[in-house]
Amino acid sequence: MEVSFALTGKDYVIVAADTTAARSIVKMKTDQDKIKILSPHLLMAYSGEPGDTLQFAEYVERNIRLYQIRNLYALSPSAAASWIRRSLAESLRSRNSYAVNLLVGGFDTTTQEPHLYWIDYLGTMTEIPFGAHGYGSYFALSLLDRYHDPDASLEEGLATLKRCIDEVSKRLVVSPDRYKVKVVDKDGVREVEL
Amino acid sequence: MARRYDSRTTIFSPEGRLYQIEYAMEAISHAGTVIGVLATDGVVLAAEKKVTGKLLDLSSSKEGGYGGSGEKIFLLNANVIGGVAGLTADANSLVNYARTAAQRHLLSYNEDIPVELLAQRLCDLKQGYTQFGGLRPFGVSLLYAGYDPHYQFQLYHSDPSGNYSGWKATCIGANIGTAQSLLKQEYKDDITVKEAISLVLKTMSKTMDSPTLGSEKLEFAVLMLDPKTKQPRAKIYKPAEIDALLLAEGLMKKDEDTEMKGV
Amino acid sequence: MEYNGGSVVAMVGKDCVAIACDLRLGNQALGVSSNFPKIFPITDRIYLGMSGLATDLETLRERFRFRVNMYTIKEEREIEPQTFAHLVSSTLYEHRFGPYFIEPVIAGLSKTPSGDLKPFIAAADLIGCLNFAKDFVVSGTASAKIYGLAEALWEPDLEPEDLFETISQTLMNAVDRDAFSGWGCLVHVLTKDKVITRTLKSRMD
Repeated sequence: MEVSFALTGKDYVIVAADTTAARSIVKMKTDQDKIKILSPHLLMAYSGEPGDTLQFAEYVERNIRLYQIRNLYALSPSAAASWIRRSLAESLRSRNSYAVNLLVGGFDTTTQEPHLYWIDYLGTMTEIPFGAHGYGSYFALSLLDRYHDPDASLEEGLATLKRCIDEVSKRLVVSPDRYKVKVVDKDGVREVEL
Repeated sequence: MARRYDSRTTIFSPEGRLYQIEYAMEAISHAGTVIGVLATDGVVLAAEKKVTGKLLDLSSSKEGGYGGSGEKIFLLNANVIGGVAGLTADANSLVNYARTAAQRHLLSYNEDIPVELLAQRLCDLKQGYTQFGGLRPFGVSLLYAGYDPHYQFQLYHSDPSGNYSGWKATCIGANIGTAQSLLKQEYKDDITVKEAISLVLKTMSKTMDSPTLGSEKLEFAVLMLDPKTKQPRAKIYKPAEIDALLLAEGLMKKDEDTEMKGV
Repeated sequence: MEYNGGSVVAMVGKDCVAIACDLRLGNQALGVSSNFPKIFPITDRIYLGMSGLATDLETLRERFRFRVNMYTIKEEREIEPQTFAHLVSSTLYEHRFGPYFIEPVIAGLSKTPSGDLKPFIAAADLIGCLNFAKDFVVSGTASAKIYGLAEALWEPDLEPEDLFETISQTLMNAVDRDAFSGWGCLVHVLTKDKVITRTLKSRMD
């Protein structure tokens, strides 16, 4: 079962997603990267209907890149998230809609602030300090309610994320065993090992 | 010889020129002057009105609306004001296009359109009329005074060919030679809005045909950041505010009669 | 309507109007956000509240902003509440056979020919059938409960501060009995010269 988490801290956003590609009850592979780097300061974790997810993520990736090439600067996280939301909302009322849930995390270089957006396949969007998609959300959100600190250092943030992952491993019947974790801050995007 | 290449906009002359574009620019050089000056904390626009007269109904510009008489200076978006020189009818069509383009950007991205992007949108349209057959190019030059978080305050100029460029201070319309050399002499890189207002009005008073400035011949606008919200705020002056400003700057010839009435 | 949850209410006072919403965004029974306002300023004296499917709420907010901005810039004046109500209604009815799942509530102060400001409230269903009430209008998952409390607490000609108290108590007590609404409230009171905006804390369960 797919699980993704994200949380903000002092001047950074952490985004984590499991790496399992499953079909029915079978794990096909366990090293799939489900977090796209959209621009130097923008990350997107995606989950949902297999096929739709990758197709939509690549569509978003290429469009955000195109904007950057045309205009010599990248879209701000809020502008990018609004555009992605609109794409999903328009898709919802089309004949073939994308069933993709997203966590979009970015660092706004003009205001020096981190931003995190929770977006579901209907095009519902809200800016949040922390969030999750999939069955993991039922375990992680209450933990994050208790332990999340908007001014936490990166180490503290990663420790909180570890709590969430451990809880899911402990309580969820079909928990994933590996996660990919990426961080975005003023220096850009990088992957971190837990 | 040149005349043979005049009738169509999209045909080069043997010297490699597009005459219709050059004629459009010529039309602009007879229009009312628009001056723009970029300051550290804002942008200032001033324009000379050509359509004047005692019988002209200006009631709508005196109260309500955004200020301005709707001839030279327009609010294009919450963060951009535009000054136009050239054919007013063409300008109205471009202003409408710009406003729609800005709102479309807001709809897609939930943010005010970056100033350069708005200039690009209009230039794409204008360029089309230099290439596709049978149509006349827009006889309009524009100044865009705006703000966005990427490059803060900005001033752009675009012409009928679809070229655009960014400026610290520039002007379009009649007498631009005089105005430009004046601006070049007086402009300082650390100029404030207050100083820019003086500079613009001083330059305006030297380029305009009439010896005195007054609200019936002038449109004026300033774009600054709202001190509270830190969002850009455009102010297009109403006639009474222009007169008050000119009086404060000592550029208005005092009318003895009106002063007597006031006593 | 129960997918994301949420409720909105508007009330008339003496030369003032109030509009309030809860702040919850849910994904069925799971709470996702406790900071999801459902009321948006349209002009200085019109506020629009919406409850229903959150994706449509955002889409409509963007569409209304687009259409009101174009109206304002072309007419060179701000839109009147009555005009805006009909704009909302026709936008919703355009999608009569594939509607936006939204029930809007409008609160505003409209200009009378003499130049005074008169309170105005209206609500509509998801296909734009307008309801111009003289006392209060409601929408959302707690609407039935809000009706009950509003019926008991509201009285004519309330002053701004009393109206604030009335609408706050009405909404807070109604959403406490509703699983899909709550997690804090947002209240605006529009008066002649100012807009009072307050965020209320409420039960977080």
